[in-house]
Amino acid sequence: MPKCGSFTRITATALAAVALAGVVAAGAGASPAKRAGTTISGAGSTFVSPLVAQWISPIGSAYGYQLQYSAVGSGAGIAQITARTVDFGASDAPLTPDQVTACNGCVQIPWALGGTSIMYNLPGVKNLLHMDGPTLAQIFLGQITTWDDAAIKKLNPGVSLPSTKITVAHRSDGSGTTYNLVDYLSSVSPTWKSQVGVGTAVNWPTGVGGRGSSGVSAIVSSTEGAIGYADVAFALQNHLKYFAMKNNSGKFTTPGSRGILAAASSDQKADANNAYSIVNPPKKFPEAYPISTFTYVIVPLQSSKAPDLKKFLFWAVTTGQKGPYTAKLRFVPLPKSVLVVAEKAIAKIHS
Amino acid sequence: MSSADATADAARRPFTGRRVRFGDLVLQLVAGAAALGATVLVGLIAWELVHGARPALSKYGLGFVTRIAWNPVLGHELYGAGSFIFGTAITSAFALLLAAPLALGAALFLTELSPQVIKAPVTALVETLAAVPSVLIGLWGIYVLGPILRDHVEPALHSTLGFIPIFGEPGAGSSIFTAIVVLAIMILPIVASISRELFLGVPHELKEGALALGTTRWEMVRGVVFPYARGGIAAALILGLGRAMGEAIAVTQVIGGGVFIHWSIFDGGDTLASKIAASYQGATSQLFSSSLIYLGLILLVMSLLANIAAQWIVRRVARKHGVTRGGHA
Repeated sequence: MPKCGSFTRITATALAAVALAGVVAAGAGASPAKRAGTTISGAGSTFVSPLVAQWISPIGSAYGYQLQYSAVGSGAGIAQITARTVDFGASDAPLTPDQVTACNGCVQIPWALGGTSIMYNLPGVKNLLHMDGPTLAQIFLGQITTWDDAAIKKLNPGVSLPSTKITVAHRSDGSGTTYNLVDYLSSVSPTWKSQVGVGTAVNWPTGVGGRGSSGVSAIVSSTEGAIGYADVAFALQNHLKYFAMKNNSGKFTTPGSRGILAAASSDQKADANNAYSIVNPPKKFPEAYPISTFTYVIVPLQSSKAPDLKKFLFWAVTTGQKGPYTAKLRFVPLPKSVLVVAEKAIAKIHS
Repeated sequence: MSSADATADAARRPFTGRRVRFGDLVLQLVAGAAALGATVLVGLIAWELVHGARPALSKYGLGFVTRIAWNPVLGHELYGAGSFIFGTAITSAFALLLAAPLALGAALFLTELSPQVIKAPVTALVETLAAVPSVLIGLWGIYVLGPILRDHVEPALHSTLGFIPIFGEPGAGSSIFTAIVVLAIMILPIVASISRELFLGVPHELKEGALALGTTRWEMVRGVVFPYARGGIAAALILGLGRAMGEAIAVTQVIGGGVFIHWSIFDGGDTLASKIAASYQGATSQLFSSSLIYLGLILLVMSLLANIAAQWIVRRVARKHGVTRGGHA
């Protein structure tokens, strides 16, 4: 009999635990109408994920929100917010018109600004080699295959370049970083534009694919002669060299805050969906780093969590942009004009 | 369950004629439900795949299967499975070729040849290999195995066997070859531990009888152990093949990607599973995601065909050699 008693007790405890878990789950997401929960969940861009990770603790102490973010990729983020399985999605590539329609009443808000670095592995050669758009496009098209190619030599007079084979490393998964790069390549190379095009994933003419930015940096760091791309923070963390890119004014710029901010100031007018295009800015922005991008948060205009969501987003585009959060990750605080657009969009969210 | 089935079952049972016992009934129901559940599950998965792949199925039809193309750029979308089917076939076949002799050798060593002291630890280690998460094997593949193969193994193979087109110019480290080796490592413990169990199951009288007749150990293994375990070994290899065909994450990490069929295994490629794993989360259009599901459907059909073919081979071999083992067929 005592055996039976303990069995019953265990069953009862288990049942209670299950019931409790059910209640908690319901409170967190399933029945948001009851009480706007303090959990704010998001999914999407891996590019912005280190920044969002920095926000979790301060947003917790400021408002008591529990911020949950899964870095599943921009495409998946868009899919999840379209299905409303999260409170916000995050994407580096602005929504396509089809996606805007599918998302049904979503608003896209620029909430972070960063740059894509073109990393390389060439032992014995200095950091910040010079590179320009057309040459980079030819490399990614597979037309330039060795480091001592005339085009690269011409950009780097006085540097002795080896005859090492160039190995192009690219993302094998869909990515906003890819979007940023191919958007740039399309704007500098008509061949790229017509043969390959722009998207979060493309049909790469050459090179090897790695999974995620970490996969690409792994290939670059283990392959002599490799060229790959990732956000600047990645290049720095992995101690990889990266190019100084020639912009339209003829100046070679690096993906530092000055270059990215200058690029951001080149597009003062957002389109109807709050999207900006800041790759390859015109020559009146001599400091601009040409492969920069805004990254976006996507939220439904009507949300049962509207008050909390608004508070969080407002915090993210103001306090969240400050040095302690952004500087180390090489994100750049949003310029004033963009902040105005973002705040206006946030104000439209309602319950 | 029809009455014909029931009588057929009853006729086979040793306790025919007795009244049906409650315990037997429960066993039959539970086991039957489990078998039915597994079958229904496969059916549901197949149905769901067909359903999910419908946009791509209706747009491309069967042409999808052979087309070598994968362009997800909106406005230029074109999808086809050709290169991925090739990649799946070549990686899993070569991985099996590489793993089978190693696995059988390891199993033989552990059952017949190894000193008693190291038997237990080595067995445990081989089985631990099966527990290493594939994502870790993949990471090791990128950082350690890939560069070693690229810098040492590929140049050696290319310079000695380069006249065979599959051993082309050494590539970037992430390649079909790296994927093959990674897959071989992953299926090795499966095949080895099943084979070990099979070899242990060979009756001692048979082995000792052979040895008593004056055979060498190798002749005993070839004449008694292998024929006795043949069907089981084939089943273990099929299991390994299925694992190799379906493995996604580790392959995605090391295979390098690319939509083309080429002879050299030192170049990059993709398998059906690795393409799905790499692209599914980032699918930007309905046609894109349904094409990925179509790839999944093809993978399901391929593994089914591989299974059927393997079973057919096993049966043929068994008939030809007139199975020496008694008791169970």
